Amino acid sequence: MITVRLFGMTKSLAKNLSELSLELNGARQVKDLVALLTVQYPQIGELIQKKKVLVSVNHDIAHEETTIQDGDEVALLPPFAGGNPL
Amino acid sequence: MNETADETQFVRVQREDFSVDAEINRVRGSSKRIGGISIFLGTARDRSKGRDVDSITFEHYEGMAQKKLREIRERALKDFDIIEVAILHRYGEIGIGENIVLIVVGAEHRAPAFQACKWAIDELKQITPIWKLEHTPEGEVWVEEHP
Repeated sequence: MITVRLFGMTKSLAKNLSELSLELNGARQVKDLVALLTVQYPQIGELIQKKKVLVSVNHDIAHEETTIQDGDEVALLPPFAGGNPL
Repeated sequence: MNETADETQFVRVQREDFSVDAEINRVRGSSKRIGGISIFLGTARDRSKGRDVDSITFEHYEGMAQKKLREIRERALKDFDIIEVAILHRYGEIGIGENIVLIVVGAEHRAPAFQACKWAIDELKQITPIWKLEHTPEGEVWVEEHP
């Protein structure tokens, strides 16, 4: 089980939940997790694909191949208030 | 990365307002070599992209926001000829005209103090996970980008 924290507009797109709990079901990388998320929240999946929403793992910006495991802190980060996220 | 006493003192994300004077004095008190202090203070505007704004709510990612601000402080201390830098950001609902963010840079001379201060606020806006919800007469808007 992994907890995914939501902020800003990603929270609005997930019925205002501030976190989601997902069974990893064999997911090993960020892209697998995104695929799982997309099933339930297609709009969030699309924003991640378009790089409008970034994924962080343990407080660092992750990429598609970043590995994840139970207990990691994953978050979905919409564009920051002050500028482009990268 | 564990926080040191300096990091706790000079890097803060807090709900309550801060005193600009107190923060300047904290930086000033860190070294007698300081001969110039540059500050940037960000405050809440009542207009944004042509819309009236009644108030702003800042949301932050606890832990990651502090980590990014500590990284900015460390890089500023390493890359510029400065002596100390304080970085503070508020979260929660902030009324028009209130303080939002403060950078205070102390250096021997003014040029690096100005340069580091500008770099730090620009970098903060790029890499710190903080989001801004503007409350307008027409509803609430998450702000995506600002130059």
